[in-house]
Amino acid sequence: MAENTDVQAKATDLLSQFEQILQSDPLIDEIGFVHPSQFVKLNEELGSSKSASSEITGNENSEFWLQHHKLGISTQILHPLYIAARNTFMAATRKYRSSCNQDDQTMAGNSLCGLSNSLNIVESDVMKHSRALLLLSCDFGTAWNSRKFILSKKQNLSLYLDELLLSKLVLSFFPKSEQAWSHRRWVIKLLVEKGYSVEEILKKESELVERIAEMSKMNYRAWNHRRWLVSYMSREQALYELNETRKWAALHVADNCCFHYRRRLMLKILAESSCAEINSGLTLGIYQVWKEELDWDEMLIKRYIGREALWIHRRFLSVCWMRHFATDNKIFNQEGGIKLDIPFFIENELNLVNSCSFLSNEDFEDFQTQATCSGAYLLWLIKNCPNLKVDDKLRTYNLNTLLKKVCPERYPLWDSLIDSIESSD
Amino acid sequence: MGELATEKHVQYILSVEKKKDDFQSVVMEHLRMNGAYWGLTALDILGKLDTVDADEVVSWVMSCQHESGGFSGNVGHDPHILYTLSAVQVLALFDKLDVLDVDKVTNYVVGLQNEDGSFSGDIWGEVDSRFSYIAILCLSLLHQLDKINVEKAVNFVVSCKNMDGGFGCTPGGESHSGQIFCCVGALALTGSLHHVDKDLLGWWLCERQVKSGGLNGRPEKLPDVCYSWWVLSSLIMIDRVHWISKEKLIKFILDCQDTENGGISDRPDDAVDVYHTYFGIAGLSLLEYPSLKPIDPAYALPVDVVNRIRLGKRHAI
Repeated sequence: MAENTDVQAKATDLLSQFEQILQSDPLIDEIGFVHPSQFVKLNEELGSSKSASSEITGNENSEFWLQHHKLGISTQILHPLYIAARNTFMAATRKYRSSCNQDDQTMAGNSLCGLSNSLNIVESDVMKHSRALLLLSCDFGTAWNSRKFILSKKQNLSLYLDELLLSKLVLSFFPKSEQAWSHRRWVIKLLVEKGYSVEEILKKESELVERIAEMSKMNYRAWNHRRWLVSYMSREQALYELNETRKWAALHVADNCCFHYRRRLMLKILAESSCAEINSGLTLGIYQVWKEELDWDEMLIKRYIGREALWIHRRFLSVCWMRHFATDNKIFNQEGGIKLDIPFFIENELNLVNSCSFLSNEDFEDFQTQATCSGAYLLWLIKNCPNLKVDDKLRTYNLNTLLKKVCPERYPLWDSLIDSIESSD
Repeated sequence: MGELATEKHVQYILSVEKKKDDFQSVVMEHLRMNGAYWGLTALDILGKLDTVDADEVVSWVMSCQHESGGFSGNVGHDPHILYTLSAVQVLALFDKLDVLDVDKVTNYVVGLQNEDGSFSGDIWGEVDSRFSYIAILCLSLLHQLDKINVEKAVNFVVSCKNMDGGFGCTPGGESHSGQIFCCVGALALTGSLHHVDKDLLGWWLCERQVKSGGLNGRPEKLPDVCYSWWVLSSLIMIDRVHWISKEKLIKFILDCQDTENGGISDRPDDAVDVYHTYFGIAGLSLLEYPSLKPIDPAYALPVDVVNRIRLGKRHAI
């Protein structure tokens, strides 16, 4: 029994140390769980021997480590620290909710809406303990909710911005945290409602996602967050983003998320360029955007062999090209030097597929993937472009043989698809 | 090829519940309701649901229900539609749906439908096509589907469809096997599968099978046992499962077993968890692996449980 109380007291002490550290340095921008043996290494690297708690409390131990706004928590204390954080938070939030109810009752009939002093204290307790808890358990929904509940009663922009910092800190260690991303969107919607600069938000969020995408590859939630922001963008902002992410995408050619983001941007730009504008030739830009992306993607396909994401991107680009821009009409077949006629386009794509589907016996797996992707791409084009007439040239191409040779394991797929194309002719 | 270590997996699943002595096991406590659904459904597929005390589980599940009608992931946590479905599914496994105040749960779910037909996960408003599936399934299990605007719900799901035939979390979201399962499931449960381009989606899903036989969730990702469920069930619902190699997938799942201590991991030789154990076993059930109960691809519950609910039959215990 006494031992139990000791353990609890120690855990409570750990929690208050942790919360003190968080309070002492509001600029902490990175957090991690570290084995204590690593602390020594970290100190050596930095030529310093101080642990966080020695700075804060004067005790020399190895439970927390803080340098240059980076906080390490010893893996040895995670369990008791978490239990203490969870219990303390749950107690605080229960107390807060019951105080709110009481306050509501006493306030009934009173037009003045203010918080009693004791409620203020409980409120700041909830904020303090939920922060500590979320840094240990990022998807503890009830803790995020308790913060939303408190914030939704405030009109203070700087409090909302603090939430973005907390979410960012959580994401520094848990880049896939669904709740942290969701909380961000909730706060951003409020900020926009209150008139905060959308431009500023777009800039900061793009930076954040790029930083996180760098350390956490193909992160669906991160890119989805950035994609969500497209609805807030103007045509010019979308064009700017498209240019800004090109370099990153070229360095991460397997990251389909980034290419999907580019597709959303392009569709946004397309949607903003109304039919009337396209017809009058005012938006030469949209043709250029598409043509540039097609050329760039082709260059990447040739440089990075066997990258599925690049071919998937091409499927999208080509089908959109065929649906929106390509024409049989010889009169309007040129726009600012960009050829728009179908035969020219198909000729180019066939050449690309040809150059990518050559296989010799000793080729590596990447070349096999490249050949499969290129054959599947051509099949995709034929299946999804009703205006593409499967003429003799395509027929003699003999996709069937190519696909079954380079990717025999998908035999049933190729068979069904080619059958359905032939029967629809 | 190894065999399914049934007995070891049963022991593993039962042990997970008891383990509370390290950070990794306690830090997931906020989604214990999901864990209960994964573990118990896996046990049922293995034919071993009777190894747990039904009354104990049911009373714990009910202690997670809130005044609003929604369920939380654990006692004292906030309610969310994710846990509400898991709670209803767990009760369905034990044939205990009659302990529910059906109107109360229904009102909670109905209250989360938005003007555009989408569903929020809870009062804080995050929208996701997963929540559409959850709402539709939850109400189907309670025979209350007519209480929501089904047409609008379907339209929202369809609006999440991409040019590649797949579905994302919201309109314009990247196609993802998990989201595809939810959207296809929602459309299947509402008799709206005609909105799916089956060849195109089947193609995308088929391309998820990698050389090892495992399935990934998106292009260029590593295979993961959980997609044996998400991809496979979707392929079955749209009648394109013959496009992948079932034998290679069975081998991949069996290779992810911990044959010594039980449990299944995401990939061979990784650490096991109850989530992947459930999806591995559920995947094998879809693949008609011997001596496993068949599972329904849209309801994500054993077929006998679904039949019992559909026919409204009540078994005496």
